[in-house]
Amino acid sequence: MFVRDYMTKHPVMVEPTTSTVEAQGIMAETKIRHLPVVETGKRLVGLVTRERLRIPPAKLSSLNVWEITRFLSNLTAKDVMVKGKDVITIGPDATLEDAAQTMAKHKIGCLPVVEEGIIIGILTEVDLLVQLADLLGVGVPGVRVTIRVPDRLGEFAKITSAIASRNWGIYASGAIPTPKQPQSWDIVIKVRHAPKEELIEVLQGIEGQQVIDVRET
Amino acid sequence: MTEDILQHSPILKLEDVAISYETRYGDVEAVRQVSFEVHRATTFGVVGESGCGKSTVAFGIVDFLGANGKIVDGSIKFQGRELVGRSEADLRKLRGDQIAMVYQDPMQALNPSVTIGDQLSEVLTTHRGIATGEAWKKSIDMLNRVYMPDSANVMKRYPHQISGGQQQRVVIAMALLNNPALLIMDEPTTALDVTVEAVVLDLIEDLKRDFDTAIVYITHDLGVVARVCDYVGVMYAGEMVETGSVEAIYDNPQHPYTQGLMRCVPRLGTTKESSRLYPIRGRVPAPKDRPKGACIFAPRCDYATDKCHSEHPQLRDIQNGHRARCFYSEVIDPDAWEPPEGLVADVPPALGAEEDLIQVSDLQTYYEQASRSVLSLVGLGEKQYVKAVDQVSFSIPKGKTLGVVGESGCGKSTLAKTIVGLEAPSGGEAHFLGFDVTLPLSNRDLKLIQELQMVFQNPDSTMNPSYTVGHQIARPLERFRTVTKDSVYDEVIRLLNAVRLDGSYYHRLPRQLSGGEKQRVGIARAFASRPELVLCDEPVSALDVSVQAAVLNLLMEIQREYGTTMMFIAHDLSVVRFFSDYVAVMYLGHVVEIGPAENIYAPPYMPYTEALLSAVPIPDPTAEQKHIRLEGTVPSALNPPSGCVFHTRCPRRAEMLPDGGRICEVERPPWQHNTDEHRIYCHIPLEELRKLDPVVTAV
Amino acid sequence: MAVSEQAIGQPTERPSRLSRMREGARTLLSSKTAVVGLVIVGFWVFVAIFAPLLTPYTPTEQDYTAQNQGPSADHLLGTDSLGRDIWTRLIYGAQVVLVMLPISETFWLPGGVAIWGVAIGLLIGATLGLIGGYLGGWIDEVVMRVLDAMMAFPVILLYMIIIAAIGASATNVVLAIAIVGIPGIARLVRSLALDIRTRDYIRAAELRGESIWYIMFVEILPNARGPIIIDAMLRVGYAIFAMGTLGFLGLGLPPPSPDWGSMVAKGRQFILSGSPWAALWPSLAIASLVVGLNLFADGLREESLRYQ
Repeated sequence: MFVRDYMTKHPVMVEPTTSTVEAQGIMAETKIRHLPVVETGKRLVGLVTRERLRIPPAKLSSLNVWEITRFLSNLTAKDVMVKGKDVITIGPDATLEDAAQTMAKHKIGCLPVVEEGIIIGILTEVDLLVQLADLLGVGVPGVRVTIRVPDRLGEFAKITSAIASRNWGIYASGAIPTPKQPQSWDIVIKVRHAPKEELIEVLQGIEGQQVIDVRET
Repeated sequence: MTEDILQHSPILKLEDVAISYETRYGDVEAVRQVSFEVHRATTFGVVGESGCGKSTVAFGIVDFLGANGKIVDGSIKFQGRELVGRSEADLRKLRGDQIAMVYQDPMQALNPSVTIGDQLSEVLTTHRGIATGEAWKKSIDMLNRVYMPDSANVMKRYPHQISGGQQQRVVIAMALLNNPALLIMDEPTTALDVTVEAVVLDLIEDLKRDFDTAIVYITHDLGVVARVCDYVGVMYAGEMVETGSVEAIYDNPQHPYTQGLMRCVPRLGTTKESSRLYPIRGRVPAPKDRPKGACIFAPRCDYATDKCHSEHPQLRDIQNGHRARCFYSEVIDPDAWEPPEGLVADVPPALGAEEDLIQVSDLQTYYEQASRSVLSLVGLGEKQYVKAVDQVSFSIPKGKTLGVVGESGCGKSTLAKTIVGLEAPSGGEAHFLGFDVTLPLSNRDLKLIQELQMVFQNPDSTMNPSYTVGHQIARPLERFRTVTKDSVYDEVIRLLNAVRLDGSYYHRLPRQLSGGEKQRVGIARAFASRPELVLCDEPVSALDVSVQAAVLNLLMEIQREYGTTMMFIAHDLSVVRFFSDYVAVMYLGHVVEIGPAENIYAPPYMPYTEALLSAVPIPDPTAEQKHIRLEGTVPSALNPPSGCVFHTRCPRRAEMLPDGGRICEVERPPWQHNTDEHRIYCHIPLEELRKLDPVVTAV
Repeated sequence: MAVSEQAIGQPTERPSRLSRMREGARTLLSSKTAVVGLVIVGFWVFVAIFAPLLTPYTPTEQDYTAQNQGPSADHLLGTDSLGRDIWTRLIYGAQVVLVMLPISETFWLPGGVAIWGVAIGLLIGATLGLIGGYLGGWIDEVVMRVLDAMMAFPVILLYMIIIAAIGASATNVVLAIAIVGIPGIARLVRSLALDIRTRDYIRAAELRGESIWYIMFVEILPNARGPIIIDAMLRVGYAIFAMGTLGFLGLGLPPPSPDWGSMVAKGRQFILSGSPWAALWPSLAIASLVVGLNLFADGLREESLRYQ
């Protein structure tokens, strides 16, 4: 799960001299909200976002009608972009979790993926959301079970050996600490080709663990 | 699943693009109303015959239209950005960083006086400001990614020191160094041999997956399209007449032109008798004759109505993104199509078994190679020979056709020229009609010369530009006194009609004829003296696919009518299959397999035949085809490998022979007879070869 | 690349000779350069043909009262040192060069010295070139070496040697021009033949068992005519220069022949003494005719290239 494998390669880009009007048009046409600004050789020098295209009201009020049009038409990407050093980027060999954490920390929606100063792709929050969903096998038919286990070594192994003993397979899995309950973990697994009743029976048979949710998808 | 949610916008989007050229006679519209989209990691094929405008579209995307070409209408959006009307400086930046082109001739992109390594690193140092050492390393990496053998050494060589297939790989590597979002390829494999083409096509598939590039692939070859493309746009006379996924277009073509094309493409595996190739009647209209207010295909369409002649159809959605420019797509059923009157003549049944007309044994044609040593100046140096034809033996029964297949340099053309007398053999025997045909032309009897004629490959050089068609057909008649002096004119007209040209062609000069017409005149001229044996040297290779069909049908008709025996040389295995009774496969001057056509295309195969068959792109995206690829290149005929000439590249000998196939390096293989008439030149025992699966299994 | 199957315009029957000539004329006239050249050359041909009608004098008529005079009412271009009218001598000179070949006192052939010289050179040179180019091998080697030997001599020297050997007369000048022109023409034709002989229609002719002479003269030569004709025109120009030079050196046509070169030779002495006319007009005449031929050849070349 490295950034390199999940990023969108060949992102839409503009040059510093591109007008903001054109940049807006491009964003509308391609339905994206973040536009990297590059120079020759795809060297990243900035990032234009929808928010940056909005002119601060303070500035607006100081101009009259004619000036506004001229002001607007003269604006280029260079004028409104987040400058190079301020753009948060990530490397292609970082993990998806690193990317998620970076995005959350800086409250940004997109991360240009950069290698030696050259932009090679882009990762957006939607990409991460989709991967999260895929991680747990959303949309794939099977049985999704949430199991609450004590925070002890060996609990996960119990589940896997129980599943393996019946020759079933775990299609997707995830584990997080139970919200608001220390010493407890929630493990989610998705199993395919296993009859629901039998599966529940097997899992309920594991000592010390509690099946708290079962759904068929 | 992810793909459905993450709907990316297309990398390239053309809408109603029209391109014109300025000429002495005013503006000529080359293409109009061209619309299509290309998404990342997909290949969009633009397919059509010559003159349809596909290259114009490709060049128009990056505005490489030359001084007199301009985009007059429509929009071309690359990554959401409008390209039409952009300044040259902007376009140049885009072309360098994000759009790359690969041409048919790799030498158009390679500088012959700079080493490969320097050219590759230059791309990185100028565009990305990377240091030279680093750029050199990255270039080697890229060469490895395009499967270039011995990449570190290739970097130090000059373009002319590597083969055509390798040059094309270098060009592709150069194109990909900057990781472009869009790659435009204009017939990149047309000039390559079939086995080399197969490797390059595989490469393009791999790279598309790894780099996520959007590819626009221009070609006229329907087989290549089926292999490489995900979506297809069919162009005719400057318009895009059908677009859709490759399966939809091949399985269920909606436009009459596409349907016609599918009918004239020879497919591997069909027999001569059971399926004919049906040409499309009429001709492509010249740019100035294209009506704006009518369907452009109407004059040649079997289903045209008044509406088609008076209204211009739009490219409309037929089903699921499959679009066609026809009013009647839903109504036309291609399976119910019947050939119109006179399109193909009735064919009398083939002759039964006959005796041999020509017998060749152990024929050898060696060319002396001028050696460079000082000794040779005084005649003492060691003589070197290019063994163009080496120990070839075969015979052809009267009235049958022998197809000779092989890649460039295999000696098939030299073989034809030797038999016909244009080259002198260095050894062996050949007997034809009681004559010895190892004699050079100057020593041959006129009677013999009359019976051995040839049809040539290149329509532009097959006729003398200074004389009329009639004069050139009449000349053999006069020379060989086939008919009396008074009947010459009538006979010429008769021959013209036999090749489906009317009498008015008598007074025309070659420059007034199209390529297909010139080939027909060439055929008329060859058959004028009613020869017993006609050799056809790649007679249809230079023609468009619909014209190929017409000329091939013609050859078949004439052959049946006159009972002529034919030797048909080609590199296209599917054409040979359709046309020949017997097939001989040649490699490096040797015949490696020969027999009736059905036997060649089915196991047991000589390993080279197997590799050739698995390399040929089949015009059917659902057909299953083995994936055997040959390493390396054809060795030089100056110094052919010892033992079996194919041993350096044979994929089968290691696994199917004891000792890893040592014997192939040392000893010449024996001829193994599968049947009376089918023999294979190989050490691997026949029973083993018989166990192999057939190369092609169509669905 | 597949050959296009586009529909091509259709004549239905053999176009008559007249219409083909008209077509040819139209092509020629559409090039401005060719037209200018044609006008200049045409002018000289015209005055050469109608010479007697265009002047009251004869080229040998001497008038001691009017020596070395400039242009005047009586003498359009002036007179030379012997009182002969320059204009008259010019146009009669044009006759000799372009229109009339005097074989003997009473007998002459149409076509001037320059024309005949180039024509004969063409005949022999083309044959040699075809033989070398088409047959190749040792025959080609021999031919090429002979030509090399001939070309080793500087042109003027060669002329002088030939004329010195066989004497100066109109026919001998023709021979000299022919001999000097042979190597260049042969080389040109040879290189054209080398290219054309690779074409398939030559193979087809060989496959009919045609004799080598047929192939060379009927199959190859007509397809080389474009460059050959253009070269021939230029050679007429060179020949005129050569005649001028020979005349200047006193090796040209014997006096009192009005060839332009001799006129320049004779008139040279008087340039500095105030009457340059005897030298000036013939020099300009030579220059204009050569330029005219060059322009015409250029125009032809443009048109023939455009056609392809």
